[in-house]
Amino acid sequence: MATRSSVPDDPGVLRSESGVKVRGMQVKFSYLDRQFEDVDAYLSDVRALVLSGDFTLGSAVTEFERRFAELCRMPYAIGVGSGTDALILSLKILGVGPGDEVVTAPNTFIATVGAIAMTGARPVFADNDESFTVDPTRIEAAITPRTKAIAPVHYTGSVADMPAIMKIARKHGLVVVEDACQSIMAARDGQPVGSWGDTACFSLHPLKNLNVWGDAGVIVTRSAELNQKLRLFRNHGLANRDEVEMFGHNSRLDSLQAVIGNRLITQTEFITTKRIANARQLDEGLADLKEFIRIPPRPENVKHVYHLYVIRVQRRDELLAHLRTNGIDAKVHYPIPVHLQRAAAYLGYEPGDFPVAEEDSRTTITLPAHQHLTGDEIDDMLEQIHSFYLS
Amino acid sequence: MSDGAVPYVDLAAQHRSIRAELLAAIGGVLDSGQFVLGEAVSEFERRFAELCDVPFAVGVNSGTDALILALKAVGVGASDEVITVPNSFVASTTCIRLLGARPVFVDVRTDYNIDPTKITGAITPRTKAILPVHLTGRPCDMAPVLEIAKEHGLHVIEDCAQAVAAEYQGQRVGSFGAVGCFSLHPLKTLNACGDGGMLTTKDPELYERLRIMRNIGLRTRDDCVTWSSNSRLDSIQAAILLVKLRYLDEWTERRRENARYYMSRLGGIPRLQVPTDDPHVKAVYHTFVVQAESRDELRKYLEERGIGSAVHYPVPIHLTTAGRELGYPEWSFPVAEEQARRVLSLPVYPELLQWQLDRVCQTIREFYGVSQA
Repeated sequence: MATRSSVPDDPGVLRSESGVKVRGMQVKFSYLDRQFEDVDAYLSDVRALVLSGDFTLGSAVTEFERRFAELCRMPYAIGVGSGTDALILSLKILGVGPGDEVVTAPNTFIATVGAIAMTGARPVFADNDESFTVDPTRIEAAITPRTKAIAPVHYTGSVADMPAIMKIARKHGLVVVEDACQSIMAARDGQPVGSWGDTACFSLHPLKNLNVWGDAGVIVTRSAELNQKLRLFRNHGLANRDEVEMFGHNSRLDSLQAVIGNRLITQTEFITTKRIANARQLDEGLADLKEFIRIPPRPENVKHVYHLYVIRVQRRDELLAHLRTNGIDAKVHYPIPVHLQRAAAYLGYEPGDFPVAEEDSRTTITLPAHQHLTGDEIDDMLEQIHSFYLS
Repeated sequence: MSDGAVPYVDLAAQHRSIRAELLAAIGGVLDSGQFVLGEAVSEFERRFAELCDVPFAVGVNSGTDALILALKAVGVGASDEVITVPNSFVASTTCIRLLGARPVFVDVRTDYNIDPTKITGAITPRTKAILPVHLTGRPCDMAPVLEIAKEHGLHVIEDCAQAVAAEYQGQRVGSFGAVGCFSLHPLKTLNACGDGGMLTTKDPELYERLRIMRNIGLRTRDDCVTWSSNSRLDSIQAAILLVKLRYLDEWTERRRENARYYMSRLGGIPRLQVPTDDPHVKAVYHTFVVQAESRDELRKYLEERGIGSAVHYPVPIHLTTAGRELGYPEWSFPVAEEQARRVLSLPVYPELLQWQLDRVCQTIREFYGVSQA
């Protein structure tokens, strides 16, 4: 009979009563049970909030925004309903709308593209490169007289080539909205994500590196004017209770989520450091499988925060099945590139248009690399992958 | 409250009474690790559909999002027109503007709701939908609204943000139009501890579309069938709402009792107009709105005596900074504009105590120099 391990550093692993490991999803992708194992502190904050009745844009939100801005080394942070809303509000406030085009990558979560479409603009794709971020050399070819913005995605927790992208944006007079939903704390040449574009968008979704207990997002900007406009725009355009300055959305970071965020944000450094260490251990452990596995380039000037640990592998679907049968919760992000989703049909793209993204959708696999993994679990994963390719 | 204060809202009082249940519900979500959609949301959707007497309900991030998604789901887009009222919270107009459509206002009646006799004159070839608002928790006169909509082939989207469980001719709001849109904002009669909203519909096709639209267009994890935003009711809020749903009938009845008490004690004051009970409707009194001569002075008089009140809303939407772009001059909607100068909302929440109600009535009578009834 399987019971939960009582070993303190290994609380999620199923073991038989004799102490021998049994198979059954030991290495999980989600770590929420471990992260919130000690919930008393969180619940006491929640209790205080519930009794205060301060549920809408109160002191908890202001406090979280201040800390988040500090974390990103940016002057302003605005809490919103989700990472998706962060993108929608950013693009709209920068004037993106019907008739415009926005260039982004096809290898992203669909929300990036959904957000562009929600403004009425047309999404235009430029293929990604080996690093899973948009290939700057492809952006220029995608620019037309209607292009209004570039929305680079810091996909997987990496950082797009922002210096090159900003050069293109300046040359063509385009606004830039960074999709940093997966890359809090990531940096390039020591400069943090979110500090290049007109705005940058973060997600605090339960599966993100910095995660709250529901949907939530943050926009950061260095523009005082955009900060002020976005504050109106996320709150019905209300300058105060009775004065409507503009027609706006209702997209506020819930106070309840801000309360959780205020506690978790102090752990961001730990979360990031641990994920980087786990990724390094995986990189090293897989280095001898070069024949079968391509680890993406790891340039020294990029601080990758490994929201997703993604590699390109041979016989992907078989490996995925093998790992899952053996208790390792590997995933695929994502099996269908966005330009080939049904929602994108009207854009007229076809298979073959973005060979790198399409190849990635067939060959990439995502391994758990979260901060609550144990060394044993990583070893177990490496062992399973080796046995798959070598036996 | 020995100091005699009567705050306009007192959420803390509500939450004190059910604190243990609320915290247990939050703990339950935490234990499940299911923070996005999942069982709590599905269960709340089932219960909410039952409450509204419709087969389907969909949880979303806010009442505003509910309106946007509903209009979009029935096909409202750029260059369309939607008929609504100018005396509502701005979100009922915003939702139309955010889709690129044009809000066309018609005036209201003394019950603060859309005047059905004004609708036909506002219809043009571009009109796509009517958006009646059940303001203050009182249902609109839906029979003529539905008749006009049918005659002209228009969709009806009900703004039920203030009217959970209100009834018109024995039928719950949210079950008349193509879609009903509800808000679960902390100040609403059924209230989350943060933003939340609900959609109701009887149409299985619209239901399916709305479920996909509130979840970024995803039919399954990997199949994106339409571009959309992310507007999900948080699981934690759903768990909180499931607790509160147990008390909704009781809370609503208390609001109605409080309203009746006000009507009986304030009814005879010549310079004050109180709402009247209509046998065809069951109003749930999200707000209890009177029309007062010397409104601002009365408000100040109450405030100085520790009695909270509010004005819903002092500026009609077409006269706000944002609304000016629509080009309606002053006095386009005389009833709504006159009401904006006179309306005052009195505290009506379920936790009000008898002495608090008495004090409000007594102070108002005092202000108008009317002896105690």
